Amino acid sequence: MILDLERFQAQARPRWSKLEALLAALEARPDRRLNPSEAEQLQELYAQTAADLNRVTHGALAPELRQYLERLVARAYAELYYAPPTRSEVWQPRRWLRIFTAFPEAFRRQSRYFVLAVLITVLGCALGGLAVRYDPASVDVLLPADYLRNPGQRVHTEEKGQSRHMDSAQVEAMFSAELIRHNIQVALLAAALGVTFGIGTALLLFENGVLLGAVAVRYTQQGFGVFAAAWLLPHGVFEIPSILIAGQAGFYLARLLLRRREERNTRQSVSEWLVLVAGLAMMLVWAGIMEAFFSQKHAPVLPYGFKVTVGVAELVLLTIYLLLIGRRDVGAEVRARISSEKK
Amino acid sequence: MTDSQLTRLPATAELTIATPEGVLFRLPLAGPALRLYAVLLDSVIVLGAVNGVGYLVYWIFAKAPGFGLMLITLAEFAIGFLYGAVLEGLWNGQTVGKRLFHLRVIDQSGLPLLIEQAWVRNLMRVFDALPFAYLVGGVSVLSSRLMQRFGDRVAGTLVVRETPLGAPAQEAWTRQKYNSFMNYPVLAMRLRRAATPELASLIQDALRRRNELAPYARREIYRELAGYLQTEIAPFPDDLVEMLSDEQYLTNAAGVLFGDQHLSRPHR
Repeated sequence: MILDLERFQAQARPRWSKLEALLAALEARPDRRLNPSEAEQLQELYAQTAADLNRVTHGALAPELRQYLERLVARAYAELYYAPPTRSEVWQPRRWLRIFTAFPEAFRRQSRYFVLAVLITVLGCALGGLAVRYDPASVDVLLPADYLRNPGQRVHTEEKGQSRHMDSAQVEAMFSAELIRHNIQVALLAAALGVTFGIGTALLLFENGVLLGAVAVRYTQQGFGVFAAAWLLPHGVFEIPSILIAGQAGFYLARLLLRRREERNTRQSVSEWLVLVAGLAMMLVWAGIMEAFFSQKHAPVLPYGFKVTVGVAELVLLTIYLLLIGRRDVGAEVRARISSEKK
Repeated sequence: MTDSQLTRLPATAELTIATPEGVLFRLPLAGPALRLYAVLLDSVIVLGAVNGVGYLVYWIFAKAPGFGLMLITLAEFAIGFLYGAVLEGLWNGQTVGKRLFHLRVIDQSGLPLLIEQAWVRNLMRVFDALPFAYLVGGVSVLSSRLMQRFGDRVAGTLVVRETPLGAPAQEAWTRQKYNSFMNYPVLAMRLRRAATPELASLIQDALRRRNELAPYARREIYRELAGYLQTEIAPFPDDLVEMLSDEQYLTNAAGVLFGDQHLSRPHR
């Protein structure tokens, strides 16, 4: 009726210790690669220990022994079925540089979520712009900061360079770091809010759009359109698209989580999100540098026409990068390869 | 017997994995408290590292504090994410805090996690840490069958407990030199045949948890169990039973049930 536990343990213990020793040796090895004889031994010990576990499980007699065997089987299972990347693979520069092509590829693959992000932002922009245009009372609510409400004074101080105290390059450096950190944090939050079924992402994008629309209309209304364009374009052409891409990543994530568990290949689909986030983080680093070192220099120092031109040039380059770099159509290439192999 | 069934229910959540060969094993999942301790410890380490870098940068950039501040701001931000992502990626799902509290992040399938998964679950912290002290993540862990915070749900990972386990030590009743029940092979055989696995494990548990029970409870439980065995299963002679305490009685019974098979050993 009852498994003779003592005898069973005494018989089986040697193979358990052997498996334990083998696992310890493997786990300590940096590349964790097995040679053929080790693989065979591991497979065999794993099968035996799994069978031992089955016997103990059915007897339900010895909880500690069962736990011990479960741990052993779990470790052996992980070693048998998973080959971690070797150290050299992890540190290969090529692997890391792949991000520069993987980012635009992922961007194009998931472009419909980008379109959704753009639509929501445009809706926000329109609402913000119309509100400021037709309902002056809304200005106080939509643009709480004084410099946003009264552009005239701001333009005056900025052009006179009165806002500078310390050695300007250093202030700019500090400012750029703050901007990079803040922007990446916000963008990351937008991308992570995908877990709220995209609702949080949509709200964040919408709010961003309202503010953008309101500022644009306010400055244009008061005749500072050129100043605003020159002020915002050099960094805005990277900053705004990167927030849109964060929205894209957020919506992609929401769609992913709405799918049934069996249908998703978590490991693969999650790297797509990661690539988008990594790409937008790089964009925001550039935007932060531009905003601190370039955007804040105004008319007497840098003519507005030049700043606007730089902004437009950046936008063109970014568009080319996002639309053309990397493989055009992965599907087509695979199809071509298959058909050529058939010949 | 229903009581013993109840106490055998798992006290903590666990993940059951079925391997392709048809082996089932369970992994105990880590609860929110343990994970919070690990996070706190990791935060202390990150803060220390950030401050260390801060002093170094401050010292190097003494002439240009602006650039120094820029570096510190960026380093602080980067270390916050890099710490968890890089360590979990390279150390097979462990940070310093997780290692000390015997926790490990693994893939939902029971396999080690990928570097990409480590990054995703650590980047998702911006959401899980909201609004303060990982409130969102904590609620997510408590409401999830697999104890996953949102970062784990997205990355397809979970955190398991890994208390280092040795093979169980020998039980007290197997160390007994002399078991007086063995002098009555017929009765011992009857005990062995009539005891159900549930009864056997109940006796085993009662003896094993000796020191966890309050003295009064222990006395009562042992008295009841020994009485049950004596009256219902195998009536050992009164003159023997009178000499034995209830605990000794149960120890002997366990020795019969789990121990050496040689019942037909000659009397000594």
